[in-house]
Amino acid sequence: MALSGWFVLLVAVGVLPIVALGDPVWLGAWLVLVLLIGAGDLMLAGSPRAVSLARDLPSRVRLGETVSSTLTLTNTGHRRVHGVVRDAWQPSAGAFPTRATVSLPAGERRVITTMLTPFRRGERRASAVTIRSFGPLRLVARQATIALPGAISVLPAFTSRRHLPSRLARLRELDGATSVMIRGQGTEFDSLREYVRGDDVRSIDWRATARRTDPLAGTGPRLVVRTWRPERDRRVVVIIDSGRTSAARISDEPRIDTAFESTLLLGALATRAGDRVDLAVFDRRVRARVQGATGAELLSRMVDAMAPIDPELIETDWSGVPSLVQSITSHRALVVLMTSIESPGASRDLLAVLPQLTRKHLVVVASVVDPDTIASSAARGTRDEVYLAAAAERSMLDQGRVAAAIRQLGAEVVTAGPAELPPAVADQYLALKAAGRL
Amino acid sequence: MTATIVTPTVRTVSRRALFWVIAAVFAVLVALAALAIPGATRGAGTPYSPTDAGPTGSKALAQVLSRHGIDVALPGTLAAASSALNAPDSTLVLVDPNDYLASKQLASLAAKATRVVLIDPTYNELSTLAPGVTVAGDVADRALTSGCDLAAARHAGTIGGAGVGYSVTDRADAVTCFDSGSSTYSVVRVGPENHTVTMIGAGAALTNGHITEHGNAALAVGLLGETAHLVWYLPTIADTAASGNPSLGQLSPPWVPSVTVLAILVAIVAAIWRGRRMGPLVVENMPVVVRASETMEGRARLYQRGAARTHALDSLRIGTIGRLAVTCGLPRLATTDDVAAAVAAVTGRDLGGIRALLLDTEPATDRDLVALSDRLLELERATVRSVRPQQGE
Repeated sequence: MALSGWFVLLVAVGVLPIVALGDPVWLGAWLVLVLLIGAGDLMLAGSPRAVSLARDLPSRVRLGETVSSTLTLTNTGHRRVHGVVRDAWQPSAGAFPTRATVSLPAGERRVITTMLTPFRRGERRASAVTIRSFGPLRLVARQATIALPGAISVLPAFTSRRHLPSRLARLRELDGATSVMIRGQGTEFDSLREYVRGDDVRSIDWRATARRTDPLAGTGPRLVVRTWRPERDRRVVVIIDSGRTSAARISDEPRIDTAFESTLLLGALATRAGDRVDLAVFDRRVRARVQGATGAELLSRMVDAMAPIDPELIETDWSGVPSLVQSITSHRALVVLMTSIESPGASRDLLAVLPQLTRKHLVVVASVVDPDTIASSAARGTRDEVYLAAAAERSMLDQGRVAAAIRQLGAEVVTAGPAELPPAVADQYLALKAAGRL
Repeated sequence: MTATIVTPTVRTVSRRALFWVIAAVFAVLVALAALAIPGATRGAGTPYSPTDAGPTGSKALAQVLSRHGIDVALPGTLAAASSALNAPDSTLVLVDPNDYLASKQLASLAAKATRVVLIDPTYNELSTLAPGVTVAGDVADRALTSGCDLAAARHAGTIGGAGVGYSVTDRADAVTCFDSGSSTYSVVRVGPENHTVTMIGAGAALTNGHITEHGNAALAVGLLGETAHLVWYLPTIADTAASGNPSLGQLSPPWVPSVTVLAILVAIVAAIWRGRRMGPLVVENMPVVVRASETMEGRARLYQRGAARTHALDSLRIGTIGRLAVTCGLPRLATTDDVAAAVAAVTGRDLGGIRALLLDTEPATDRDLVALSDRLLELERATVRSVRPQQGE
């Protein structure tokens, strides 16, 4: 049962007869009258329990986008249900509107649309639908909560996909497949084709030219050039650290989300480049794993795997990573470790296992750096700021020492701010590919 | 499809609450039964009350008197007592241990009675109605003989003396009875024959519990049954003299209490209206929020609190030296001396000053630290300007 503001007003109106007639008896009489009216209104209210419900919603949405969830209400009772309906979503599902007014005659059906704009990644749930059905006088309502579980999977935003077209163009240049007339920069022989003006003369294959004469042209032999392309079918293994340090927020974005963005951009790029991309999210156990997918399926499986993962507040067990990589591929691969390098103490475990990985694989360690740190190190107006700058310099020195140690162990280091890390990782990949180091 | 309805039905709620409802009803019934048993809730009772059948009451005496043809009036208010005393030849029994009646009220009431009997009177009553009689002290519970020619006392012979005794000073018309030694009397009568005031200190003699002992009954009946009318009045708090101004309740209109009650009810109803939730909350696990720069800020505060100026400055210097080395195009392994020399060469400044800034000067105060940090920044900028003049400012 629930009351409305009209009921409160009705009780308050009792002040008129009491003041006008001046007898305390009227207080009791008025209360009895109000109770009778309220009881009658309650009796005549349609039963919210007789409403059958069905929710229709998409299974997934990208973070930051809006989808609509529809709720179909069917009144199986005998009286009209007039009132308010609440579709109960978690706050971070960003449901709007949260209340809907319905007037549902007996035997009829209405649809309520709720717009969902989730602001947190993961699985966002709805638990129940609450219906408050007012009587004909709108004074008193019957209320019932009907369990109706629902869930929508909120995928990572992949905002870094805006960097994809430019990186794909670079990739095509590497391929030699662009209209830009430069020689493909890869190391694998691709094909022979006719010389066009602008081709590098060093790529002319004289032997093939000699073999080929064009009888129709009659102007003599045409020059044939070799084209090159980058290696294909290489392995890229991305390991995302979901441990304690990945929970830290940099520019209001957890490190793990930046790692997801970088992984998605790298995955999209590498699968277009013809490489096989495998993903594992790891702290002390494998939280998610994507293997053997290519093309569009790779991205969709990646975002599905990433969606529900939040960092665990435990130290990452780096000693398990070499065997994890070994379980994914036994061939040489580009192993990208999405983690954070902060201080020599915290990165000791990572440094301890890196030789095992670099012996066989090409390792890239990608880490987010805090733009605040650099900003703080430059701002030195007051005494507090000078101390803060000193601490910032100290943490940058620590990062620099860890990065130097990682490079000494034969791995590459990519560090950038949250917005710049995904394109930086993609560029590193392209650079390695161009250099034929994959 | 059968939907699960989370909200319990009225039937479920009532079934769940059945036990507690029964328990509450039972508790109320027990309480009512306890109230209904006569005397069970009676406390000490009202002493000398003509309607109190307890051991300290005096119902027995009042009943005996009325059975013997005496018109016993039991007024509830001062006005009623006063009008009851309008009958000629009446006795007033006054029991006012709490001094509810003011002297003026006492005097006007007592003036209308032929006989006034004060049971265990207070100082105020004594000083108003029987000046010259004072309380002399407690009297132990023992039999006292009358020792006077008061008819009632003579008939009684002996009474139980538990109570207080009085002494008479400077009063010629006092009749003193039941001497308990050292001029302490348990019953004293003063005043002219047509308007006597009798003080009974041995009040226990009049109570239901003790009236049958000794000659208590004879004394009580004798003193209270002298006239045909008896007004037995126990003043209440309502008789206290009202203060000068009328109360707020008397000034305000009659509907004010009802409207107040209605306002409270409206507030309760409004609370129910606003307080009823639209169904339960949906639980959500919140993520951990850790700002990455917290460790950096914490370290800065540690430097500051520990006044680790040299340490802080060293961090700044190492950062500056690293950037200067890059600016000057020195290899990564260049020593500080190399960097200082390169910077001196590039900027044309004094090598000693640059060395002092980059290595030797120790900050003694925070002011020095800030100044050195500013000079480091300035040196960096100057070096950049010298190496790449086109980028200048």
